[in-house]
Amino acid sequence: MIYETFREAVQNIWSNKFRTFLTMLGIIIGVTAVIVIVGLGNGMTQSIASSFADLGTNIISVQVMGYGSRSVKVEDVYSLVDAHPDLFEAVSPTASINSTVKVGTTSYSNTSVKGVSESYLEMSGYTVRVGRGINYVDLTDNKKICVVGDYISRVAYGGNAVGQTIKIGSEKYTIVGVLEAKVTDTSDQEGSSDDIVLLPYTTALRVSKTSTASSYAVTVTSEDNISEAKTVLENGLQELLNSDEGYMVTSMSEMLDMMTSMVNMVVTILTAIAAISLLVGGIGIMNIMMVSVTERTREIGIRKALGAKERVILGLFVTEAAATSALGGVLGIGLGYLLSALANRILPLVMSDMEMTVSPSLGSVAVAFGISVGIGVLFGYLPAKRAARLNPIEALRYD
Amino acid sequence: MSALIEFDHVCKYYQMGDTLVKAADHISMQINKGEFVAIVGQSGSGKSTCMNIIGCLDVPTAGTYKLNGRDVGRMSRDELAEIRNELLGFIFQQYNLLPKLSLIENVEVPLVYAGVPRGERRRRAAAALERVGLGDKLRNKPNQLSGGQQQRVSIARALAGRPAVILADEPTGALDSHTGREVLKMLQELHRQGNTVVLITHDNSIAVQAQRIIRLEDGHVVYDGDAHAPEAVVQPGCAIRTEQEESAS
Repeated sequence: MIYETFREAVQNIWSNKFRTFLTMLGIIIGVTAVIVIVGLGNGMTQSIASSFADLGTNIISVQVMGYGSRSVKVEDVYSLVDAHPDLFEAVSPTASINSTVKVGTTSYSNTSVKGVSESYLEMSGYTVRVGRGINYVDLTDNKKICVVGDYISRVAYGGNAVGQTIKIGSEKYTIVGVLEAKVTDTSDQEGSSDDIVLLPYTTALRVSKTSTASSYAVTVTSEDNISEAKTVLENGLQELLNSDEGYMVTSMSEMLDMMTSMVNMVVTILTAIAAISLLVGGIGIMNIMMVSVTERTREIGIRKALGAKERVILGLFVTEAAATSALGGVLGIGLGYLLSALANRILPLVMSDMEMTVSPSLGSVAVAFGISVGIGVLFGYLPAKRAARLNPIEALRYD
Repeated sequence: MSALIEFDHVCKYYQMGDTLVKAADHISMQINKGEFVAIVGQSGSGKSTCMNIIGCLDVPTAGTYKLNGRDVGRMSRDELAEIRNELLGFIFQQYNLLPKLSLIENVEVPLVYAGVPRGERRRRAAAALERVGLGDKLRNKPNQLSGGQQQRVSIARALAGRPAVILADEPTGALDSHTGREVLKMLQELHRQGNTVVLITHDNSIAVQAQRIIRLEDGHVVYDGDAHAPEAVVQPGCAIRTEQEESAS
C-alpha cells in the first residue's frame, strides 16, 4: 500500500511537471539560500579560526598603557609570569616599530617590525630555516641584529638574506636568520605572518626611545588554564598600577570565540530570513494541494466507493505534498552546492587577500532536506484532511 | 435462505430549505443471495438514495439496513469503507475509471485497499479483465477504449474483489443500445454464475432483463415481484395501488 501510494504520488507529480516545478520554487530558493548562507558562515568561521591558529590560541596578549605616573617595567611582567610556572610557559615583550623597512631603494610598507625576546620564535610557532634566532645575549647587548620572515628573504634578497643588512627607519641591522614560511602559498605571503622582521626588544625600545614595552605576549601551559592565567595577570597588573585602568589582558581564544559567535549570529539571522522563503514555499504547496484536491474530487469519490479509508486518502495527498517538497529540497541542495562551487571560484578574484571558501556542511544538507519534507507534510496535511473528509456521494457526483 | 440485503423501514430525509424531503420513506425489502433484482423508478423516486444506502455510501436516517447480517446504520465512515471494499462491487453509469492508471491498475485498486499481496493482486486483476474479454489490453489507459470497453473494465473491477453484491447504477446509461445489450448480457451471465446482482435503472426495458423488479415512487415501494408479471411494467402516473395504500385509504 505504501509503495502504491508513493508511486501514484510520483506519477501525479510527473504528469504535472511544470506546475509542480512552480510550486517547488519557493522551497528550492529557500533551501539554496540556507545551504549557501550556512556554507558561507562555515567558510568565514574556518578562515577566522585558521588565521587565529597562526597566532596560536594559547597566547594571551597584554597591553600596558600605564596609569598616571605609574608604569610597569619589563622586569615586573617577567617576575609576574615567573611566579606561576604552573600556568605560564613563556613571555615576550612585543614592541612594534612603525618605521618603514627598506632594502636598497625598495620600501616594504606592509612588513611588520617587532622587538621581541629570545622566547618569541618558539611561542609563535616560528622555526629558523637558515642562520640563528634571537639569543639572550642579543638582548643584554642591545645588538643591532634581526631575523626576517620568508617573504622578505625571498623577495628582497632572493633567498640569501643571512649576513645582509636591512634598514628600518634610519637604523641599519644585520640579518642573522631566516624563518620557515608559515603561509605555504607564496602569493598570499605579503602582509602575512611571513612578512615580518624581528629584533631584540631591548634594541627596539632604545631605538624608539621608550623606557618600557607596552605590549606582551604570554603563552600558557594549557588552553584550559587561560581564564585562570588571565585573572593572575589582571590581578598582578592591578597591584602594580594600583588601578583597574591602564592595562588590557585579552586571550586569542577569547577573541576567536567572540568572532565566531559574531559570525554565528549573522549566519543565524540570515538563515532565519532564508527560512521565510521556506515558509512561503510551504504555503505555495498548500495552495496547489487545495487545487489538486478540488480537481481530483471525483477520483477521491471513486477511491472511497472502492473502499479507501480516510487515512488512505490522507496518505495519498500528504505523500504527494511531501514528495513535491522533498524534490524541491533536493533541487535546492543541488543548486546550493552549485552556487557554493561558483562562489569558491569567484571569491578569490574579488577578495584576493582573504582565504575564504564556501563549504556547505552535511549537517545543513540533512537539516534542509528534513525541513523541506516536514514542510510538505505540515502544509499538505490540511488539504489532505479536506480530501479525506469528502462525502463519497457528493464527490462521485462532482464534475 | 437468509437475506443478503435487508431493508427494515428504511427512511432517508433531507432538509431542503424549509421543506423536509423524504427521499426514502419506510422502505422494507429483502434481496437474497443469488438474485438478480432491478430497482426501477423515475428520477426523484428514491432509487438513487436506495442505491447509496445499499452501496453503504450513505446511512439511513431511520430504520435498519442489514448487509450480510451486519447493521450498516451503526458503522463509522472507515467501517463503511471496509464493508464497501469487502462486500460490494460497483458499476457506475460513467464507468468512473481512474484515467491515469492502466486497466490492470484500475482493476487492482479495490484489491490494494483490501491488502491483497501484489502478486495475487496482479493475477486476480488479469483474470477479471480476461473474463470481460479485455485480457489483451492490460497496459492500456482507459481513454484508449470505447465506452462499452470501459464499462467492461469497471465490471472487471467490480468482480476482482469477489463481492457479495454487484451493484450496477444505470450501467447502460452512457452506452448505445447495442453495447448496452452486451453489458446487460454480461450481468445476466454473472447472475447465472451465482452472483447477486442489483441493477438500478429508470428504464423499464432494461429492468425486465432482471429476475425481479422493485419499483419505487416518491420514496415508497410500489411494486415488488416477478419482472415478467404484467403489472411490473406500468407507465408512470398510473401506478397500481399497493396493499399498504389500499388499507390506508
